[in-house]
Amino acid sequence: MVPYEYYVALSGLLMVLGFIGVIVRKNIIAMLISTELMLNAVNVAFVAFDMKLHDVVGQVFVFFILTIAAAEAAIGLGLIMAIYRMKKDVDVEKLTELKG
Amino acid sequence: MELSVVAFWVLSTIAVLSAIGVVFFRNIVYSVLSLISALIAISGLFFNLGAELIGALQILIYAVAIVVFYVLVISTVPQYKGEAVDPKYALLSAPFGFILFLELAYVSVYGLWASNTGIFSPDIFNQISNAKAVATLLFTKYLFPFEVASLILLVAMIGAILLGRKDIVEEEKEGGA
Repeated sequence: MVPYEYYVALSGLLMVLGFIGVIVRKNIIAMLISTELMLNAVNVAFVAFDMKLHDVVGQVFVFFILTIAAAEAAIGLGLIMAIYRMKKDVDVEKLTELKG
Repeated sequence: MELSVVAFWVLSTIAVLSAIGVVFFRNIVYSVLSLISALIAISGLFFNLGAELIGALQILIYAVAIVVFYVLVISTVPQYKGEAVDPKYALLSAPFGFILFLELAYVSVYGLWASNTGIFSPDIFNQISNAKAVATLLFTKYLFPFEVASLILLVAMIGAILLGRKDIVEEEKEGGA
């Protein structure tokens, strides 16, 4: 068996990569995708802790995180479509004004 | 070497490489393809951990449903012309990413979850299946959050429809007048 610490370390690595993606990318869709990566990192940590604690509460919370991720994707992408229609751009540097 | 150890190293390598691809691929389509690869690898890790219900949900919801949203939007928004990565933020992200990693490492090593607080003992865990255990908790202790989750999905759906519709209605009015 792989020690659960390895899974937690992997989760941390994925979290940091998603975080870097949110900061570095200029395309707003790419930033949302990086957010999904961070949510997945949390899921890995939850399931790894479940394995360690012999419990399933973490998996229940993964279920809720999946729900939130779906809602976030729907709303976020709807917003991106609305912003794109208004500004004709998906570059965060150019989306600094709220009302165009 | 045990099979689960091999599976862990293979799948985690794929997951990390795919995550690097998600962050650094210039073309957004490649980023989404890397995301699918990472999601499937992570789903494999869930199977490896014995969480088969979550692994299946991961493929069904993430790799199919959510990625389809992204592909839909990417096919609507034209190919992004500017630089993919902002160099000044790339420099900035390294120290902050390192600090975040240190925080996560600290919490992982010295955190408070080390005590065993699970309600299912290993014997019960082996008797009933993982899916049954998750569903039991979901429909007893966490029934209210479960219902709230369905409400959140409904609100998100209505919000997405409204966000997508608003301009079309206005354009129709402008066209008619």
